[in-house]
Amino acid sequence: MSAYIIPVLFLIIFVFACFKKVKPYDAFTDGAKSAVPFAVSIFPYLAGIFVMTELFEASGISSAVADFLAPAFRILGIPKELTRLVLIKPFSGSGALALLSEIFETYGVDSYLARCACVIYGSSETVFYIAAVYFAGAKTKNLAKPIIISLVASFASCIFACFICHIM
Amino acid sequence: MNIIFGAVITLSSAILLFISPDAVLASFISGGEKALSLSMKLVVVYAVWLGVFGLLEKTGLSSKFARLLKPFNKLLFGDVPPLANDYMALNISANILGMSGATTPMGIKSIQELEKHPGTEYAIAMFFVVNATSVQLIPSSVLALRTSMGSVSPADIILPTILATLVSSVIGILLVKMFIRKSNPLTEKEPFKKEK
Repeated sequence: MSAYIIPVLFLIIFVFACFKKVKPYDAFTDGAKSAVPFAVSIFPYLAGIFVMTELFEASGISSAVADFLAPAFRILGIPKELTRLVLIKPFSGSGALALLSEIFETYGVDSYLARCACVIYGSSETVFYIAAVYFAGAKTKNLAKPIIISLVASFASCIFACFICHIM
Repeated sequence: MNIIFGAVITLSSAILLFISPDAVLASFISGGEKALSLSMKLVVVYAVWLGVFGLLEKTGLSSKFARLLKPFNKLLFGDVPPLANDYMALNISANILGMSGATTPMGIKSIQELEKHPGTEYAIAMFFVVNATSVQLIPSSVLALRTSMGSVSPADIILPTILATLVSSVIGILLVKMFIRKSNPLTEKEPFKKEK
């Protein structure tokens, strides 16, 4: 089903463009032109986030924090095997995906832990990455509140994920 | 952001100084490399999506579509300038459909457009939170990974994921409504007029 969404969408757009007598080639290249400045403008912010994540992992702070928080997470219903996933998700999507496949291998794809990890992975976004990219070069500096709100909401959905996977 | 960045970098570097001093520069470099390789991928993805969006804009489809979503946008974000509304509508629908390549360029454009107008702090905060807690209907990368690892029923996580992501979005929206005030006397008196 989902495989059809994009091709159908593209088809509609191009057919409509011809119908409206818009020059499709010119319009496409005009839009695509801005891709490079876009990517260049977000690169420094990406570099910042990735350097931070790398150091966070390499120094062992991330596993230390995970060990420290595991008992508290346990009380909220988050299994200790998933603590690291919950912690890394706001920082790095690829890091979380790597952890996810690790969990699949260790505990089996269809185990409770693996399903729960999938839901945690799918239900929240990489908050810091989005903050860095969306506000690349933006004047708004007061991001603390929106970031905290997003983190709280994501964390709540992790707790919910662990609960719902018990019954579904 | 500066506080978090500063704290993490200082603390990590200090710890690494004792356990493996070589790893400090190595981590910096590998972080930079990851950023570069992601940027390269993004250039390609953005070129495709921005090209398609170029068509959407020229045909006027995007503003038609945005008009359709306008009541919903208004409810969530309050009064926003019309051009920002177009971008935001595209961003939100790309989010729902799980077209992750398309959400980011539209998201950045929305924020840039919103920032040009005073009194949009609330809309910006709400827009960010909605994106950060995104409602996604089909978690495609997870599904692909499950299938490739031989899951018996890869699709049984779809419904729980949709529910969980709804929970995060609803909580996020409620928290914004509670903690960020819609303080824009300018726009309350005079809603944004259609440009051009």
